[in-house]
Amino acid sequence: MALDDAKRSSRKRKESQDEYSFSKAHQDAGNLEMMSDEEAGGGVDSDDGQLEEFPEIDVASDSEEEEDESDEQSDGESYDDNEEEEESDDSEIPLFPKSKNVISDITGKLKRIYPEIEPDYDSDSSTEDTTNRVGDVPMHWYDDLPHVGYDINGKQVLRPARGDELDKFLATVEDPSSWTSAFDKNAQADKPLTTEELDIIKRLYAGEVPDATYDPYEPTTEWFTSKQEVMPLSGAPEPKRRWIPSKWEKQKVMKIVRAIRQGRIVPSKTKAAQKLEVYSIWSEPSSSHPPPLPAPKPPLPTNSESYNPPEEYLPTEEEQKAWETLDPEDRERDYLPKKYSSLRLVPAYDRFIKDRFNRQLDLYMAPRIQRVKLNIDPNTLIPKLPSPSSLKPFPIYRSLSLNHAKGRARALSISPDGLWVISGNEGGVVSLWEVNIGREVKKWTFEGKIGAVEWCPRTDVSYFAVAINDTIQMFIPPNVSAPVLSLTQSVLAPTTLPPAPSTPSLVKWVTPPSSAWSVDLPILTIHLPASTEVPTQLIWHRRGDYFATVSSGTAYGGGVWIHQVTRRHSQAPFKKIRGVVQLVLFHPLKPHFFVATQQYVRIYNLSEQKLLKTLLPGIKWISSMDVHPSGDHLIVGGYDRKLCWFDLELSEKPYKVLRYHSRAIRSLHFHPSYPLFASSSDDGSIQVFHSRVYNDLMTDPLIVPLKILRGHEVREGLGVLQVKWCSRQPWLVSGGADGNVSVWCS
Amino acid sequence: MASTSTSANGGSTNASIVSQPVVFTTHTQYPLPYQKYMIPTTWRRYQLSQLVNKALSLVKPVPFDFLSKGEIIRGSLAEWCSEHGVGEEETLEIEYIESVMPPQKMAEIPHEDWVSSVSCQLPRYFLTASYDGHLRAFDLSKNLSASIPAHPAPITSLCLVSSSSLDDDSQQLIIASASHDLTARLTQVTLNPIASTNESKALASLHLHTAPVSSISANAAGTHVLTASWDGLIGYWDTTVPSTDEVPEPALNERDRSKKRRRVEEGEGKGKRKAPLSVFKSHTARVSKVLFASGAGATAYSCGFDSTVRRWDTETGVCSHTITASEKPFLDMALTPDGNSVLATSTDRSMTLYDLRSSTTTLVSASNTYMHPSTPSCVATSATNSHQVVTGAYDGVVRVWDLRSPKSAMATFKPWNGSGHKVLSVDWKRGIVGVGGERGLEMWKVGEEQKV
Repeated sequence: MALDDAKRSSRKRKESQDEYSFSKAHQDAGNLEMMSDEEAGGGVDSDDGQLEEFPEIDVASDSEEEEDESDEQSDGESYDDNEEEEESDDSEIPLFPKSKNVISDITGKLKRIYPEIEPDYDSDSSTEDTTNRVGDVPMHWYDDLPHVGYDINGKQVLRPARGDELDKFLATVEDPSSWTSAFDKNAQADKPLTTEELDIIKRLYAGEVPDATYDPYEPTTEWFTSKQEVMPLSGAPEPKRRWIPSKWEKQKVMKIVRAIRQGRIVPSKTKAAQKLEVYSIWSEPSSSHPPPLPAPKPPLPTNSESYNPPEEYLPTEEEQKAWETLDPEDRERDYLPKKYSSLRLVPAYDRFIKDRFNRQLDLYMAPRIQRVKLNIDPNTLIPKLPSPSSLKPFPIYRSLSLNHAKGRARALSISPDGLWVISGNEGGVVSLWEVNIGREVKKWTFEGKIGAVEWCPRTDVSYFAVAINDTIQMFIPPNVSAPVLSLTQSVLAPTTLPPAPSTPSLVKWVTPPSSAWSVDLPILTIHLPASTEVPTQLIWHRRGDYFATVSSGTAYGGGVWIHQVTRRHSQAPFKKIRGVVQLVLFHPLKPHFFVATQQYVRIYNLSEQKLLKTLLPGIKWISSMDVHPSGDHLIVGGYDRKLCWFDLELSEKPYKVLRYHSRAIRSLHFHPSYPLFASSSDDGSIQVFHSRVYNDLMTDPLIVPLKILRGHEVREGLGVLQVKWCSRQPWLVSGGADGNVSVWCS
Repeated sequence: MASTSTSANGGSTNASIVSQPVVFTTHTQYPLPYQKYMIPTTWRRYQLSQLVNKALSLVKPVPFDFLSKGEIIRGSLAEWCSEHGVGEEETLEIEYIESVMPPQKMAEIPHEDWVSSVSCQLPRYFLTASYDGHLRAFDLSKNLSASIPAHPAPITSLCLVSSSSLDDDSQQLIIASASHDLTARLTQVTLNPIASTNESKALASLHLHTAPVSSISANAAGTHVLTASWDGLIGYWDTTVPSTDEVPEPALNERDRSKKRRRVEEGEGKGKRKAPLSVFKSHTARVSKVLFASGAGATAYSCGFDSTVRRWDTETGVCSHTITASEKPFLDMALTPDGNSVLATSTDRSMTLYDLRSSTTTLVSASNTYMHPSTPSCVATSATNSHQVVTGAYDGVVRVWDLRSPKSAMATFKPWNGSGHKVLSVDWKRGIVGVGGERGLEMWKVGEEQKV
């Protein structure tokens, strides 16, 4: 069918051929190539035949296996003829190679075989010799010249002679090939068209595909089998419904359209209506938030990380070994510098993963917030204290020491005139000696442990009290001037005893008969209740009439007794007291009484008999306490090394807490006249402080550490047990666990 | 010998040795003409001493010590120069002094108790006062000549008031002693080395003080005695023995009557109770030492724990001059032989030289301070050499100082084999230093030997 159509159309074309070529020939020469010009003369006879045969050739070339065999065979014969004709006609213009359909030996199916290409020069069109070598330039450049270009040798290619219109006309008449020739721009002459070109033209005329090799009637290839496949890939063409708009979509759209028409859907406002607002980006204050922190930068590589570091960066063998033996955390850097002669020799970076991991860690751990660093010079935090050398005098060296052969020198007292020392040890020996020379003048020996010794602060009488076992014994030192002696005797052993209190007291005051008086025996003995342990503290009131004793243990009234010498009367001020009483103190000016239990210091008013205040030192176990001579300040030391300074007018909390001893504080004492205090500790040292207290209430007390006095030995964990100041000189007397009593002079 | 070695030194001196220009000065009796010497810096004290000896052409060689800028040249001159930054061109002024021979121990006399005071005043005897209340006298052969139980309490100080020779051998002494029992006593002792019958008699007890008496001192003529006490008073007494008690017995309670009677009976041997001529009150604290000025003048000096040194006019009992130091409780004091300056030791481990001639009364005019490593308890000056002083300290070391060299002592020695016991008293007479302390008495030969 299609073949017949093609034949018909080719005939039609044949009929209009003349007219067509004629009109073509009349068209402008510059525009169209169909300018037939002189052509090598070919067989004119074959021209018609060629044209006649053209469709047949075409049909033959299109191998149509679907046609019956007979047709094909006949076609094949005719094809052969045509071929011969063509070869004879246009030998110099070869047709593109024809294929043959052969039954393959291997598959047993038809296959198309093309003739072999002969590899001679003609086979390659690129080697065709075109004489004009000017290339693709506008040829009108050469319009006024006698030549049209240059050949390969640079010789001018002369313009071929061109006939006028008459010649052209004649050529169309005379030259049978002129109508199949076209103007060659390059040669500026008419060239006959090749058979391929003619074939294309012919196909275009016929409305066919110009490509001669295209076969529109190719047998279908089953790209997808019609059989049921495992994979449901279908070779079926897309169904029609795929291209038909969806009915449901249409309904949906119509619904929207209706809604828009009825005004139910309001189209969004046009953006163009909004006017661009202009504002100053700098006028607003910047955000109070700090800008995000930049990521921490990895450290820059150093010289030693180079692949070719200078020699001085290379580790020696010892350094290498030391580096290897170190733990990775302890290494100063995590690589060893190595030298490579060239970058080529540098091996792969073995620590890459670890480096990246560390970098990630760094980023992860990097601070998110930039804290404002307080730029404080640590030196400014140290309080401005005057130099100790400007606060002289204070004790700086050990002038002398007196040794108690056995037992710790636990009790110590200095006479009110500052000239004599009495020291008692745990072996029951009480020594009286001069402060300045250290010569023991008198010695008393007792059975038992000396708990405390204390000199009566009165200056018109001279005696001291010794706490031993459950008694307190009063002694008069030797070599006392007669008036003092007689007054002391009359104080301690008056001829007419005061009337006994109405209620019998638990405490008995005993004075031996005057005939038995001697320096070696006590002139007065106070017997505390029998079960009482040895008083650990004996403290005199400033006036020298009252004194208080504290016995350890849970005795009656917390073990606290207040004795009055003139009335020869003792009383326990507390019926019951919470906690174990450690220490008591008389206020130097007011009728106040300090009682230190393990953790608290309570201040009682003795005349009104009520509790005034409870101080909270925050010490676990109070060991020592002393009150400033002004009465407004109290220092409390503890076994937990703390020393608390209380300003009694301020608060119940300490004004200052100092912790400077390395072991428990044992004793504290304010100097009666100099602005000094000393503390002794179990670490074997005594620390001397300047403590100036101002009358001005606005000024804080000034506490300056002055001197650490070392010299006492630590025995059995005990160091310096007692410190006392000389009243008139800045001298310190200390008693230690090593049995030494030392005098420290300025 | 000296000349030969000096010449040998001179011969060895060549141009390569660096030399230092030196000018020699002296206060000794061996002055050199003012002249500049070029001394090789390698020279030490020995060569310098030989140079001086040779220049003076002394018949008997005298060893010298050399001082510059208040310090004794110990090593070579070059070391000294480099230490003190003295340039090569600088002229060095070197003072030479007679050198102190190394002290030699003469005798050791142990005591039962501490010796608080030593006196070498007597030519042939040493007197000691001890804490057991005894006064003791030893002759040169270390024999105990006399032991007098003068006080019932420790004696703090003693002094020789007067001595008179009864005949060729025996001597009669009057010794004044001060004690912790608040009194001072005058005791008459007769020393007879041959008969060994030494009699002692308490002449008088001096009653004034209400605190232990710390010091007692008699004037050269032996007519007056001064006592100083811890109560801040100074008593001025004459040495005449009164016929009756000038001070009554203290009134005792009725209960003490019987006791008192017994005491009175005991006190028969105590001598008469004597009252002072006058009392000097100016010290505000314990007075540690009182001294009569040398010579016949009626001047006395005292020092005390109130950091003052006072000059007293004994006639009027008025304090005529006060030197106030700051925080120097004075322990002992000694006057230089010329009487112009006073040396006082204090508890701040220093001995200070004060010029007494300065007219301003309160100005501190310390010329020199001699630091000790321990408390200097006592000081004594040499009678002959006005520049030499001996101090004893609590660390058991006795130091011989030249006053021109405050930096370091000229010589030190340790009594009692360096056991470190306290030295409580020193006295220096006739080239012998008596050292009293915890372990008793020791005698050392120090200096001045060649002049005896």
